[in-house]
Amino acid sequence: MRPVTLEAKQLTKRYGARTAVDGLSFTARQGDVVGLLGPNGAGKTTTIRLLTTVLTPSAGEFSVAGVPGSRPAEIRRRVGVLPESAGYPGNQTGREYLRYHARLFGLPRPDAERVAMRLLAEMGLDGRAGSRIASYSRGMRQRLGIARALVNDPAVVFLDEPTLGLDPAGQRQVLGIVRDIAQRGGATVVLSTHTLPEVEEVCSSVLILDRGKVVVAGSVGDVTAAAAARRSARLRVPVGRVGGAGEALAGVPGLRVDAVDDDAGVLRVSFDADPDGRRSGAADLNDALRAVLRADVPVLSFEVEGARLSDAFLTMTREGVR
Amino acid sequence: MTTSVDRQVRDTETRPAVRRDPGWTVVAAQESRDLWLGGRGLVLVFAVSVLLSVVTYMAATNQVLNFLEQREAVNLTLQIAVAVGVLVTLVVCADGISGERERGTLESLLLTPVPRRAIVVGKAAAALSLWFAVFVVSIPYVWVLGRGVSLVASALLLGLLVGTLLAAALAAIGLLISAVSGSNKASLSVSLFLLLALFAPTQLPGGPKGWFGEVLLRVNPVASALHYIGAVLVNGHGWTRDLSYLASPLAAVVIAGGALVLAGPRIVRLTGGVSGE
Repeated sequence: MRPVTLEAKQLTKRYGARTAVDGLSFTARQGDVVGLLGPNGAGKTTTIRLLTTVLTPSAGEFSVAGVPGSRPAEIRRRVGVLPESAGYPGNQTGREYLRYHARLFGLPRPDAERVAMRLLAEMGLDGRAGSRIASYSRGMRQRLGIARALVNDPAVVFLDEPTLGLDPAGQRQVLGIVRDIAQRGGATVVLSTHTLPEVEEVCSSVLILDRGKVVVAGSVGDVTAAAAARRSARLRVPVGRVGGAGEALAGVPGLRVDAVDDDAGVLRVSFDADPDGRRSGAADLNDALRAVLRADVPVLSFEVEGARLSDAFLTMTREGVR
Repeated sequence: MTTSVDRQVRDTETRPAVRRDPGWTVVAAQESRDLWLGGRGLVLVFAVSVLLSVVTYMAATNQVLNFLEQREAVNLTLQIAVAVGVLVTLVVCADGISGERERGTLESLLLTPVPRRAIVVGKAAAALSLWFAVFVVSIPYVWVLGRGVSLVASALLLGLLVGTLLAAALAAIGLLISAVSGSNKASLSVSLFLLLALFAPTQLPGGPKGWFGEVLLRVNPVASALHYIGAVLVNGHGWTRDLSYLASPLAAVVIAGGALVLAGPRIVRLTGGVSGE
């Protein structure tokens, strides 16, 4: 079994009367990509700052790569971080910036230079190594920030909104890098983002926070199932057979016909997921399809529209947005 | 991305757990590069040299007309060099933490294993390079005005010692203010106000007299230090006779520097202000 690289127990951060992070507990293993989700103000950035020792917890304990939180300097040697809205010194070149940070991690000048050039090449920035950061695009700065997070060969990498403000191509590039860091580099990655498809694409597990508390943790599939979100489907049948299909569906327990478009031959149905989260709704889907087919109505298409992480997110974080 | 072979190479690259250079020297070196190669230091020194040119010209002219004794001319120029050198050092330090905070570059610095204490010491060291540059710029002006009265060497040595004391004290004060300020604007304003408050008594013609005036003079590190320079250069006192006037600049260095080193780990943080994190 892969070793645990990140462990938090009842981690809490209070600012006076306000609790930003409330009793957070979770573990992550080497090679995991953990999606840290939650609406604005849920405590994602505070969680990252606690785990990277920039902030001191009010209560609880944590360890990173086996190093307890009581040894912050040692933890900082083992983590790499792309902070939220990181700033960059515009008058430095990318190469100078990475070399400086490598030296801050204790590398002698020649080694720091080698690490800087290697990371610039890995991030596709070697062609602009000598250009001032002020001339970099947003995507280039994000990749430079990720490169900076890797100068110390970290065991755990924290990326706070790494794709924020990037175009689709830039987002894809960054997600590819995230995947590589975990799969080939062997590091644990904690990815804080609002972009849920990104999480579904690259994360092995998810941690959803709401008002400083963990509301659910687990694999993407488990979280989606546990959300017990109401799912909907779009059924298309031949025009003129809509009535028959509607009658057949009305007899399926737990299923509701929400809308009917006779002209297009489309029925929109919805069904409640199993409230205890053990069933994904596949049984209901099968029952619905069987009922329509038993009524001898040809099914032209059947598209499930729910059962995504975004549904779970919205359900578990109440309004989802604030 | 990397392969297992790359990783081995990387392990070799990152192997040294023991830092070759102390963190503060790495910070100081980069801050100095930013200050000088970024152009800010050069612009400030150029401005200082223009000011000293004007002052020297006026002092030399007055000297020719017998309105200003040669020793007084040297004293005036040296005091201005010290005052302006200390001012620019303070301004750079006042931007040291709060400026990085506002530019969003502080967090990445705090995420390195370099202790926060070493970060502030490195920044102070880089800022002091500005004072030394101002001092070097002032050398030819003092030399021009001090020729013929065997005053140049002692004036320069005096300026270097007293100016370094004041610059170190105000660098530490500037960084303390910067660390606890809620914004960079607030940090710069408070620092400049403080400097003005310290310099004002040295420029007042009359000023408080008697024991109260003496106490005010002695507790103010800037006024006290400049008084000492004047006593040696203009009044011809021996270096040791008025040494007690250097007590407050020395105390300022010890207190402000000590406070910075001791409180650095707690006050250098992501959010400004004096409240907790």
